[in-house]
Amino acid sequence: MKRSIKLLVLLAVFAMIVAACSSDSDDTTTTAAAGGDETTTTAATADELIVGVSWNNYNEERWAKWDEPDIKAALAEAGASYISSDAGSSVDQQIADVENLIAQGADALIILAQDGTAIKPAVQSAIDQGIPVIAYDRLIEDPGAFYITFDNVEVGRMQARAILEAVPVGNYVMIKGNAADANADFLRGGQQEVLQAAIDAGDVVIVGESYTDNWAPEVAQTNMEQFLTELNNDVQAVVASNDGTAGGVVAALAAQGLDGVVPVSGQDGDGAALNRVALGTQTVSVWKDARLLGRVAGEVAALLAAGTSMEDVPQMVKFTTPEGNEMFSILLSPQPISADNLDLVVTAGWITLDDLCKDVEAGSVAVCP
Amino acid sequence: MTQQTLQKAPLVEMKNIRVAFGGVHAVDDVSVDLYPGEVVALVGGNGAGKTTLIKTLSGAHRADSGEIWIDGERATIENPRDAKALGIETIYQTLALAENIDSPGNMFLGRELRTRWGTLDDSAMESATREVMARLNPQFKNLKVPVSSLSGGQRQSVAIAKSVYYNARIIIMDEPTAALGPAETTQVGELIKQLKAEGIGIFLISHDIHDVFDLADRISVVLQGKLVGTVNKTDVTMDEVLGMIIIGKLPSDVTQTELDDLHG
Amino acid sequence: MGAVLSCLTWPLQPINVRLALTDVPDTDREESPVDRGSDADATEPVSIATGRSRPLGSIIRSAEIDTRLLGMIGALIVLWIGFNIMSGGTFLTARNLWNLTVQTSVVAVMATGMVLIIVTRNIDLSVGSMLAAVGMAMALLQTEILPDIFGIGHPAIWILSLAAGIALGAAIGGLQGAVVAYVGVPSFIVTLGGLLVWRGLAWWMASGRTIAPMDKTFQILGGGARGTIGGTWTWIVGIAACVGIVALLAVRRRQRIKFGFEPRPMWAEIGIGAVACAVVLGATTVINSYPMPERLAMRYAEENGIAWPPGGLSIPLGLATPVLVAIVAALVMQFVATRTRYGRYVYAIGGNPEAAELAGVKTRWTIVKTFMLMGILVAVAASIQIARLNAATSGMGQLAELYVIAAAVIGGTSLSGGVGTIPGAILGALVMQSLVSGMVLMGVDAPLQDIVVGVVLVAAVALDSFYRRKVT
Repeated sequence: MKRSIKLLVLLAVFAMIVAACSSDSDDTTTTAAAGGDETTTTAATADELIVGVSWNNYNEERWAKWDEPDIKAALAEAGASYISSDAGSSVDQQIADVENLIAQGADALIILAQDGTAIKPAVQSAIDQGIPVIAYDRLIEDPGAFYITFDNVEVGRMQARAILEAVPVGNYVMIKGNAADANADFLRGGQQEVLQAAIDAGDVVIVGESYTDNWAPEVAQTNMEQFLTELNNDVQAVVASNDGTAGGVVAALAAQGLDGVVPVSGQDGDGAALNRVALGTQTVSVWKDARLLGRVAGEVAALLAAGTSMEDVPQMVKFTTPEGNEMFSILLSPQPISADNLDLVVTAGWITLDDLCKDVEAGSVAVCP
Repeated sequence: MTQQTLQKAPLVEMKNIRVAFGGVHAVDDVSVDLYPGEVVALVGGNGAGKTTLIKTLSGAHRADSGEIWIDGERATIENPRDAKALGIETIYQTLALAENIDSPGNMFLGRELRTRWGTLDDSAMESATREVMARLNPQFKNLKVPVSSLSGGQRQSVAIAKSVYYNARIIIMDEPTAALGPAETTQVGELIKQLKAEGIGIFLISHDIHDVFDLADRISVVLQGKLVGTVNKTDVTMDEVLGMIIIGKLPSDVTQTELDDLHG
Repeated sequence: MGAVLSCLTWPLQPINVRLALTDVPDTDREESPVDRGSDADATEPVSIATGRSRPLGSIIRSAEIDTRLLGMIGALIVLWIGFNIMSGGTFLTARNLWNLTVQTSVVAVMATGMVLIIVTRNIDLSVGSMLAAVGMAMALLQTEILPDIFGIGHPAIWILSLAAGIALGAAIGGLQGAVVAYVGVPSFIVTLGGLLVWRGLAWWMASGRTIAPMDKTFQILGGGARGTIGGTWTWIVGIAACVGIVALLAVRRRQRIKFGFEPRPMWAEIGIGAVACAVVLGATTVINSYPMPERLAMRYAEENGIAWPPGGLSIPLGLATPVLVAIVAALVMQFVATRTRYGRYVYAIGGNPEAAELAGVKTRWTIVKTFMLMGILVAVAASIQIARLNAATSGMGQLAELYVIAAAVIGGTSLSGGVGTIPGAILGALVMQSLVSGMVLMGVDAPLQDIVVGVVLVAAVALDSFYRRKVT
């Protein structure tokens, strides 16, 4: 009897938590096709140009909230119509989706690949049928596709630039991303480009450098604690490669009372990181505005669908992939967010003023009332 | 012995027990009894039904028909708990000991003694184990080591001590010497004598005709689910018992030719 | 006669062997710790009286000290000294040792539960994901849900989020345990599923956002700037521990005398008490010799109206809260494992599930309880984790299951069940974290760290099984 009461209480608490948590994420899934292979068609008339988008997993909040509206808007402005499908994180489903989109008359495809290698045969078959393919955000190693993404090397440059501006002379710790992730090295390369001159001049000394398994904040925290111990807190700046690891670094600094004293970089425009920027414990978060990515992809897709050749796409650059393929691509420039331009993320609707200014003393940054 | 059995009331009477699996009669109309301070051996080849028969007493199986009387009263045994409540304890061939736990821990497993704070009272359990062991196997003193590092005879002592401690009056021993060396087998013999002296009745299941003759007072032979007969050990020779086991005939019925064939 | 026997079809004792050996003496060797298989080789003349009379060995035996644990402590000391030399004297500073204790606490708390799980012949692969899910739930409660009800900073916030986290941990653990025990799905599969499910749940609860910062009071659990108990309280804890050890030894001794057992020799009792107290008080001294970082001390001076002296202030930080939590968790788990019926049943199930069942132990319910306990400990670890990081992410605790299992296994827990101790697991966690922290100090990068940790894990277990075969 006593036992069953205990169990009931546990279940009730569990249910409470689940209910409480679900209420704020309801809006994410309302437009998603639940079945996975269902394709939704929005008013495709016969002679209109059609652009098909294959999402790898529409249930992730970002796509519906930030990318899709701008793709749709750009297409609408260009007079093209939008159809889409959701692979629900399944590689096989995505291959089938691509074939379905073609069957529905798509004149160009935007593919957010679940697996950039596994999707290649489907991409090849689309290209063979004369349908241009845009590799959206994630690389598809096919020289025939058009690659649109943010420039990760540039992200690294921006991180280093912001930190170097704050601390032109001093000991630097480099907290890198996951060793198995190519982006970690792209970022580190960009950082090095900016710091090289200062290093050569002897102004900047890199006193500690470490990869972070799985980009895990707790690992970054432990690593930072060890660097501080080793160097007896003689660290003037930290270049962290993303906002998660920056969070770990700031926690390690806070335990030594160095938060807000030692500049820290990051990227992604995480809510928690932007809040740290407002609090002054993080110097910069490089923000990749997904809406810009969506808009550009929509515009390029409309152009390609209308028959423009990839070479003639405005802003096109040649991108050399890790496998050595030359691809037509557009590398978008991200936006560094620091205390001075926090208003950008607020006016963009990326974060609410409440979340941004949580615990921030009134008047310490311009944007917070 | 005969006189003794006549004077006392039987401790256990199993009457006309039948157990069937599907269409096969594993035990078919078998009756055996057991007196206080007596060892009755149940012998028979593999699949003769002796284990199934005894499981109806230990509560591991239910009989399809037949009656069990304990101390002259009709008893209902539906599960091991019923059997334990009647003072019937079973010592399994595998001994059913937790190898990683010491002897007192095993002896009190499931019935631990506790202090008034509700914690395990290891000292009390060790003390009680020591007491029982002083009766059963006085040389066995290293109680605090895991059972896995004990000899086979010592393990057997632990298993038997467990039954004795809970005032078992009827002990079922399934192949108690199967995994033991000769010296330890002797030791188990000593243990059984000790139990007999305390008036405990023992059903002994064994393959080993020497053990049976060393330990048992009476021998019940089963063959193909049926009771061949029960004999006093002193009245028969080993050959005659083997004749019962293999041919299925009582010594009085068996011919000299048949016995000679056994030696073939 | 012999012919009769030899033609019988059923298995018989080897009679000839018995006859040949009737003169073997009684083989109850009470002093001999020599292992003997179930096929009891009474034939083997083991030297009992003469065996192992080395002085150190006999001292250890009559003092009844766990040699295995002693060996592990020795290995840890060697490791520490090695790192200290290779890091140029940084490793064995008070500051680094203090760091080490804090960094170990999350894995240590979970490892104490994992020991019992593995002892029951099960495994829990889901602890890392569970940590993320429970941590995320606690973070959301205290940052987004409860402040709207009580207002920011209300004490109910940290209490309720902690309680809810523990309840959620117990519920998740209980659910997995029930599927293992009552449905009969192997725990490897159930918790492998859990590894995916709870990670997904963690993501879904906040759509992958990072939730920060935590409630101010809750942050104390993390051992950050305000998460320590101060020098005085650290001494009080140290001295209390010392008194506790002496009292425990005295009670044990009286108990043994009461039941007429031969007690440990007095010199051993005093020796053990003295060594244990020296270790505890030594550790307290080391912890208290790590002063508050200068900037925090300045802040502290400012808040308390103390003038900042020219040489700076040296205020001991004291024991970090997460370390205190881990110590309490370890003591409670040690008590549960060795002094309660439940703990006895856990080991009995691991030793021989059938025997436990036959003895009337409710084996299934015991397994459910073990998984619930694991869930509760995961919740405690999760609260330390999110407080320490001052944030919760859905990616938290990735690979934590492997570190936790490795800590238990390095600490002597046998994956085949039945064997394992709480102190061993704590030491195992310390070894793992020492390796990682030490290598970062030496500037060894992540991929090589993984290689070293992997090799050490296998080597430790290999060494242990070698030791077992030889000594048990």
